[in-house]
Amino acid sequence: MSQPVSPVRHVLIEGNKSYHNISEDLCVPTEKAPSREWIVAFTIASAFLGLYIFAVCWTVWKGIGEWGANRTINWAWDITNFVWWIGIGHAGTLISAILLLFRQRWRTGVNRAAEAMTIFAVICAGQFPIIHMGRVWLAFFIFPFPNTRGPLWVNFNSPLLWDVFAISTYFSVSLLFWYTGLVPDLATVRDRASGFRKKMYEIFSFGWTGSAKHWQRWESLSLILAGISTPLVLSVHTIVSFDFATSVIPGWHTTIFPPYFVAGAIFSGFAMVQTLMVITRKVLKLEEYITINHIDSMNKVIVLTGTIVGVAYLTELFIAWYSGYIYEQFAFYNRVFGVYWWSYFGMMFCNVVSPQLFWSRKIRRSIWWTFFLSIVVNVGMWFERFVIIATTLARDYLPSSWSYYSPTWVEISLFTGTIGLFFTLFLIFTRVAPVVAIAEVKAILKVAGDQFMGPNAKKSHGHGHETEKQEKH
Amino acid sequence: MTDMHHDNGIWVSTEDLNREESFVQSAEKEFSVETMTETDGQWAASRRDFLKLMGFGLGAATLAASCEIPVKRAIPFVTKPDEIVPGVANYFASSFVNGSDYCAILVKTREGRPIKIEGNTLSSVTSGGTSARAQAAVLSLYDTRRIKNAGTVEKGEVKKLSWQDLDNKIKGQLQLGGSIRIISNTNTSPTAKMALAEFTAKYPNTRVITYDPVSNAALLAANQACFGVRGIPTYKFGAADVVLSFGADFLGTWVSPIEHARDYASKRKIKSATNATMSRHYQVESHVSLTGSNADTRIQIKPSEMGAAVCALYNEVAAQTGGASISGPALNDKAKAALKKAASDLVAARGKSLVVCGRNNVMEQVIVNKINDLLGNINSTIDYGTLNNLSQGDERDMARLIGEMNANQVSIVIVWGANPAYELPNSEQFKAAFAKVNTRISFSGVLDETTALCSHAAPANHQLESWGDAEPKTGHYSLIQPTIAPLFDTRQAEHSLLEWAESTNLNRQDDQPYYQYLKSHWADSMKAKQSKYATGAAFWDMSLHDGVFEVPPAPRTVSFASGVSLNPAGVTQPGSSALEISFYETVNIGNGQYAHNPWLQEMPDPVTRTVWGNYLCVPIEWDGNKKMNGWMNLNDGENVEVSINGKKLTCTVVRTFGQAPGSVSIALGGGRTSGGCGVGYGVNVNPWLPIDGGMIQYFAKEAKVETTGTVDKHFACVQHHHTMGLAAKDEKTGNTINADEQVLAYQGSLTDRSVIFQANLKELPKLAEKLAEFHHEADHLNQQTLYPDQTNYFGTGVKWGMYVDLNACIGCGACQVACVSENNVPVVGKKEVARHHEMTWLRIDRYFYGDLENPKVVYQPMMCQHCDNAPCENVCPVNATNHSMEGINQMAYNRCIGTRYCANNCPYKVRRFNWLDYTTADVWPANEERMFRVEENDIPFYADNLVRMVLNPDVTVRTRGVIEKCSFCIQRIQEGKLTAKQESRAVLDNDVRSACQTACPTGAIVFGNLNNPDSAVSKAAEGVGDLAYKVLEEINTRPGVKYSAKIYNS
Repeated sequence: MSQPVSPVRHVLIEGNKSYHNISEDLCVPTEKAPSREWIVAFTIASAFLGLYIFAVCWTVWKGIGEWGANRTINWAWDITNFVWWIGIGHAGTLISAILLLFRQRWRTGVNRAAEAMTIFAVICAGQFPIIHMGRVWLAFFIFPFPNTRGPLWVNFNSPLLWDVFAISTYFSVSLLFWYTGLVPDLATVRDRASGFRKKMYEIFSFGWTGSAKHWQRWESLSLILAGISTPLVLSVHTIVSFDFATSVIPGWHTTIFPPYFVAGAIFSGFAMVQTLMVITRKVLKLEEYITINHIDSMNKVIVLTGTIVGVAYLTELFIAWYSGYIYEQFAFYNRVFGVYWWSYFGMMFCNVVSPQLFWSRKIRRSIWWTFFLSIVVNVGMWFERFVIIATTLARDYLPSSWSYYSPTWVEISLFTGTIGLFFTLFLIFTRVAPVVAIAEVKAILKVAGDQFMGPNAKKSHGHGHETEKQEKH
Repeated sequence: MTDMHHDNGIWVSTEDLNREESFVQSAEKEFSVETMTETDGQWAASRRDFLKLMGFGLGAATLAASCEIPVKRAIPFVTKPDEIVPGVANYFASSFVNGSDYCAILVKTREGRPIKIEGNTLSSVTSGGTSARAQAAVLSLYDTRRIKNAGTVEKGEVKKLSWQDLDNKIKGQLQLGGSIRIISNTNTSPTAKMALAEFTAKYPNTRVITYDPVSNAALLAANQACFGVRGIPTYKFGAADVVLSFGADFLGTWVSPIEHARDYASKRKIKSATNATMSRHYQVESHVSLTGSNADTRIQIKPSEMGAAVCALYNEVAAQTGGASISGPALNDKAKAALKKAASDLVAARGKSLVVCGRNNVMEQVIVNKINDLLGNINSTIDYGTLNNLSQGDERDMARLIGEMNANQVSIVIVWGANPAYELPNSEQFKAAFAKVNTRISFSGVLDETTALCSHAAPANHQLESWGDAEPKTGHYSLIQPTIAPLFDTRQAEHSLLEWAESTNLNRQDDQPYYQYLKSHWADSMKAKQSKYATGAAFWDMSLHDGVFEVPPAPRTVSFASGVSLNPAGVTQPGSSALEISFYETVNIGNGQYAHNPWLQEMPDPVTRTVWGNYLCVPIEWDGNKKMNGWMNLNDGENVEVSINGKKLTCTVVRTFGQAPGSVSIALGGGRTSGGCGVGYGVNVNPWLPIDGGMIQYFAKEAKVETTGTVDKHFACVQHHHTMGLAAKDEKTGNTINADEQVLAYQGSLTDRSVIFQANLKELPKLAEKLAEFHHEADHLNQQTLYPDQTNYFGTGVKWGMYVDLNACIGCGACQVACVSENNVPVVGKKEVARHHEMTWLRIDRYFYGDLENPKVVYQPMMCQHCDNAPCENVCPVNATNHSMEGINQMAYNRCIGTRYCANNCPYKVRRFNWLDYTTADVWPANEERMFRVEENDIPFYADNLVRMVLNPDVTVRTRGVIEKCSFCIQRIQEGKLTAKQESRAVLDNDVRSACQTACPTGAIVFGNLNNPDSAVSKAAEGVGDLAYKVLEEINTRPGVKYSAKIYNS
C-alpha cells in the first residue's frame, strides 16, 4: 500500500473515495432492485438469446444446408463470427495479465469487466466451431480420449484440433483468473448481505475471511495465473490464425497471420471493452472508477493496434506482389477489387482509417467519439474476418468452382443471437458481482497520494482511518 | 399419559393409542384382502391393483408403441437361384435402344436388381463406350411415375383394366376393320418387325408411321436422290484427316455419337510430343454445340446462312477439283475466308476427308453429298455398305397422318414409344386431329403428353424388363434381355401386338411368350446368317451371352447419280432480321425423351453448364475496352420474353461465349407437361420450329427478345463463364489484348494458372519445352520443404493413379452420369444446385480460351486428385480422411463430423458436403421442404423405396453432415484385388476399371497401377512425356491424376 507518492501522477480513482465509499458504490448494484434500463436491456438481450437458441435448433434439426454456404465457400459467417468473438475475448486477459505484469495500475478500474467480457466472448466464440459441424451430435470426436473404436485418435496435425486445445485452455485459465479475482469481492458482498443471498455468497466466496494468509495465497495465485495467461494472449489467436495459415489456399497461406491476428484481436477486444465500459460506467454510475483516463489509455492501445493491423494489411499486399506468385497476387487483387470489394473497403476504413482519429486527444477523451469508434472498429474487424474467409474461398485456384456467398436468415440470427447471449451474460454479471474489482481498486486508492498530500488531504484523512478499520473486520 | 394397555408401551398411531374401534378391527385381520371396489365413482385401489394396472398400462403402451415400427421382412429363398449369390454382381449383355439412340450394354445386377449400365466391348458399333443417356437408363426403370397397370385413360389417369379385358376391348375395335395407324420412332428390331408383320397381316389396313424426335429426314431423302439409298451411311471419322461439319453435332447427338466419338478421338489423341499428328476439324454453326466446342476452327454464321455456307464451300471445292460452280446466296466475309481455307485442307486430304451436315434441308444435304463426291470421300470415309438404321423417320408422314385423322379416315391409332403431342412442331394440330380418332392406344411406360390423350394404355415393360433385339447398323444385331421381372403389371409392346393379332406363333402358356417368340426367330432365321454354330440353341446361347451378333455386310460402292442437279435456290436463303434463333438437341435431354430422368436433368449441359431446364443462350459482346457484356446487357438468370411468329415464351438467359452475333439459341426438350420429374423445367420450344417443305427446321429466321425485368430465382448453373485467357481487340490501340486481364479485375492471371495447358499442334515442341520447364520448376519448389522426407511411400505394391487425355475428352458427360450411378451420388434438384449444393463427385469443367468472340473450349474432367500430400488430410481434426498405402485418399464417413475444412482446403474443390439429408439416409428427419421430389406433393425422391432400388449396395449411402468425394471407385478396387488374390496373381489393368473409365466412349480416362510400368495408365502418361502434367503441380499436393495438354490443330 505504500506506493511512492508522485504529484505528477494523476489520480486513478476520482471523487475522493474512501474505502467505505468504494465498497458501497461497487456492491450496491448487486443489492438493489434492477433499474429500468437494466430490465429493458436484459429483455432485448434475452430475446436475441432466444433467437439464437431457435436458430441453433433449426440448424441442427434441418442441416447446415439452411445456411448460405456452398460447395466452394464452406465456411462463411460461422467461422467469421468465431474468429471475431475470439478476438474480442483477448482484451480481458491482456488487461489482467500483461498489464498486471507491466504494472499498469490503471487497469484495476476495468479489468474485472474486461475479464468477464473475455469469458462471455469466448463462450460465444466456442458456439460456432460446434454448431458449424455437419454432425454436431458427434462433436465429442474432437477430444482425444481412450475409446473403443480401436486405437482411434484425433489428428494432431490438424489446426482445428489445436483450436480445441487453445480455446479450452484459454477459457479455463481466463475463468480461473477471473474467479480468483472475484473471491475477496464476493466475500465483501457476503459480509453486507443477509439471508439466502448471504448463504449463496458464502458458498461462492469459498469461506474467505480476509486473513493475511488468504491474501498472501490469493496474491500468489493471481501472479501464477497471470504468468500462465500471458503467453495465452499471444498463443490463442496465433493458433486461430493457423486455421488459415497452414492451409494451401492463396490468401490464407501466409506467415504474417499470427502477429496480424493477435494485434487485430487486441484491437477488437479493446474496442469491445470501450463499448461496454462506456455504457456500464454510465448506467452503474461508476464514472469515478472508470475514469476518462481509462478511456484515454485504452484508446491509445486501439490506435496502436489499429495501426499495426493497417501495416499488416499493406504488408500482405506488398508480399503478394513481391512473391511473383500468380495465385497469391490474384487472391489479393480480388480482395481489393473483386466481387467482395465492399467488404475490403469496409475493413480498411473501419480498422485503419477510423482509429487514426484517436491521435487527437480531444477525440480520445470524448465519450461519444469513443463509443462510436469502438463500434466502428468492431464492425471493421468483423469485415476483416469475412474478407479473409469468404472472399478468399470464393475465388481460389480453379476458376470453374468460383462461387458467391450470401447469408440466410439462419446465419444472421446465429450472429445476432450470440450478441444476445453475450449481453445476457454480461447483464447478469453486473447484477451478481461487483463490476469493478473492489479489493484491487482499494489497493490503488492512494497511488496519487492526494488524500495525504493534496488539497483533499485534510478533510479526507479521518475518513480514511475510519474506513480502514471497517475494512479489517 | 393414558393407561398403558400395551404390553410394551409402544403404539403406532393415535388410533392405536386411543384403541379406536376401527383400528382394533383392522389389527385383528392381519391379512385382510381389500377387494377392489368402486365407491362413489372412485377407485379404491390397493397396492396390488395399482401394480396390476401399471403393469397392464406399461405393457399396453409398450405394445402400442412398438406397433408403430414398420415391419421389414427378409424372406429367405426356399430354393436359392443358382445365379444369385448375395454380394456378387451378375452382368447381363443387353442393349439400350430408344429411337435413334443405341448402345450395346452390360447390365450389372445385384441380388436381382439392375443397378448399373456398362458398355459392351464386343460391339463394333459402340466398342464398350456409353453415353450419358445409356448410363441413366437404369434410373428410369425405377421411375415412380411409371404406369403400373393396363387400363383406360380417363382425365389424365389410367383406370385399371385387366390385360384380358383390355385385349378383348381392343380386339373388338380392331376387328371392326377401320384403318389402323401405328406411330413410332425409328424401330430397328428385326423381331418386332416380324411381330408387326403378323399384325399387319391380320389387319391389312395397318400402316406404320415413323418419325424421329429430331429429324434426319432430309439426309435420308438426299441420300436417296444422290445414291439411290434411303439410309444413312457409316461416317468413318477415324479415317478422316480433315472433318468439316455443317451444324452436325456428331459427337453429341447426331446419327451415332458413341461410334463417332471413338473414331474421332482416335484421330485426336496425341501419343507423343514429337511427330504428333491429328485430324483437323472445322465446324460451321451459330450456337456452340458439343461438337463445335471440340473443333479446331469454329466458323460462326447466322443459322439462316447455312445454305450460303454450304454453297460457298462447294464452290471452293469445285474450283479446286474441277466441278461446276453454282451461285449460292451471300455469306459473311469472315466465314467465306475461313471456308476457303477449309476447302484447301479438304482438297489436300482428298479421299481422307469428311464433310457432314446436320441440317434438315434436302438441297443442302445434296450439295454436301456432292462436295464429298468431289473430294472422293464416297466409298472411302463414307461407307454405304454398312448403313446406320437409327434414323428412319420422316415427319412428312406425320403431316399426312394428321390430314387422314382430320378427315376421319383413321379409326385406331397405336402410339409406340413416340410422343407426338410434345415432340412435333405442329403438336396442336396433331392433338386436334388425334381427338377425332376413335380408339387411341399407347404403349408408353409413363403417362406422357400423348398417352394422356389416349383412350387406352397398354404400358410396355421398361427395356431392362424386356426381351428384344435391334439392328442399329447393317449386319450388327444386338439382343435385349430382361434383368429383372417386370416391376409392375406391364407387358411388352410386341407381345401386345401379337396378342391382338391373335398370332399362332405366340405361346401364351409360356411364362414369357415373347421370349420364346424372339428365341425361335433367332434360333431359326438369324442362325442362318452364320456358320459357326450348328444348332439354333447354341447360336442363341452364344448370342445372348455376347449380347451382339455381327455379320460383316457385303461391301457396297455407290456413285453420285448423274441426274441430280444442284439448285442453290433450294438451300436456305439468308434472312434479313436482326435476330435469328437456332434450336439444338443436348446430349442429356434430347427432344425431351430423357426429361424425366433426374440424373440427366442434373447433368450440366457441357457448354452452358446449366441444369434442370433449357436456357436461352445469348452472345457475349466485348465493348472494345474493359467489359464483356451479355447481348442487350442481359445477365445470367434473367427472364426474357422471346417471340417467334407471334408465339411468346418466357425464357431464362445464359450468356454464352461463341454464340454467333445476331443469333440466340435454345435447347429442345424443356417444358414437358406430363409424365414425370421433367415437368415444369424449361420451356417447350417445339411449337416454334418452322416446317419448310414438310421438313422441320431447327432454326427460325426471325425472333424478338424483350426484357421482362424478372429473374429466375433458382437459376441453376454449376460454372459461370470463367475463362482461361481470352484475346480481344482493344479498340483504342488496335492491339490484341488479353481481355480477361481487363475484365473483372486482373483475371488475366487465369491465363497462367497451371490448370490447363494448350497449344496449337504446330507449336507442340514449344509447349513441350514450356511444360518441361514447368515440371522442373515445380519439382524444385516442391523440394523446398521443412520436412525433407524423401521416403517413397508408394514404391512397393500397388499405387493407383489416373490419366485423363484432354485431347480425347469431348465433354459428353457419360463419365459423370456413370459416377453418379456407381457411387450413389444423390440428385439434389434445381433449387439446391442453384445454391451450389450439387453433389457430383466427378464434374467436367469447361474453360474457354482464344478469341473472345469465337473461343475454343477445353473440357477437364475433375475428380478427387488423390494427392499424396493431400491438403485435406492434415486438416481434418478427427482423421476422417486419410491416405491408403495404395495412394488413395480415403473418406471414413462414420468418422466425419462435418467441419468442412477439408473442402475449403482442397485446391481442386472436389469435396462435396451433404448439406441436407439428400438421400434420406439419416436418423434425423429429412429437411423436407428442400428435398428434391418428382412432384411437389411427393415424398422426397430418395425416400421412395422404388428409387432406392437403384442404389449400389457396395457403396455407403451418405448421411447428412458428412463430406464425400471420388473414391477412385474403391469398391471396384477391392473387388479387383480379391479376384487377383483368388487367382494368386498380381492385380492387372482389367481387374480394376473405374466407372468413369468404362463409361468413356473415347478412352480419355485411363485408370490403373502406376507402379506397374506395363499398365495402360503408366504407358499413356509416359507416351506423351512432358505433355502430361498434374493440375497445380507446383503447390506440392502430388496428385495421383495426370492430365495431358490440350492440343488444337488450326
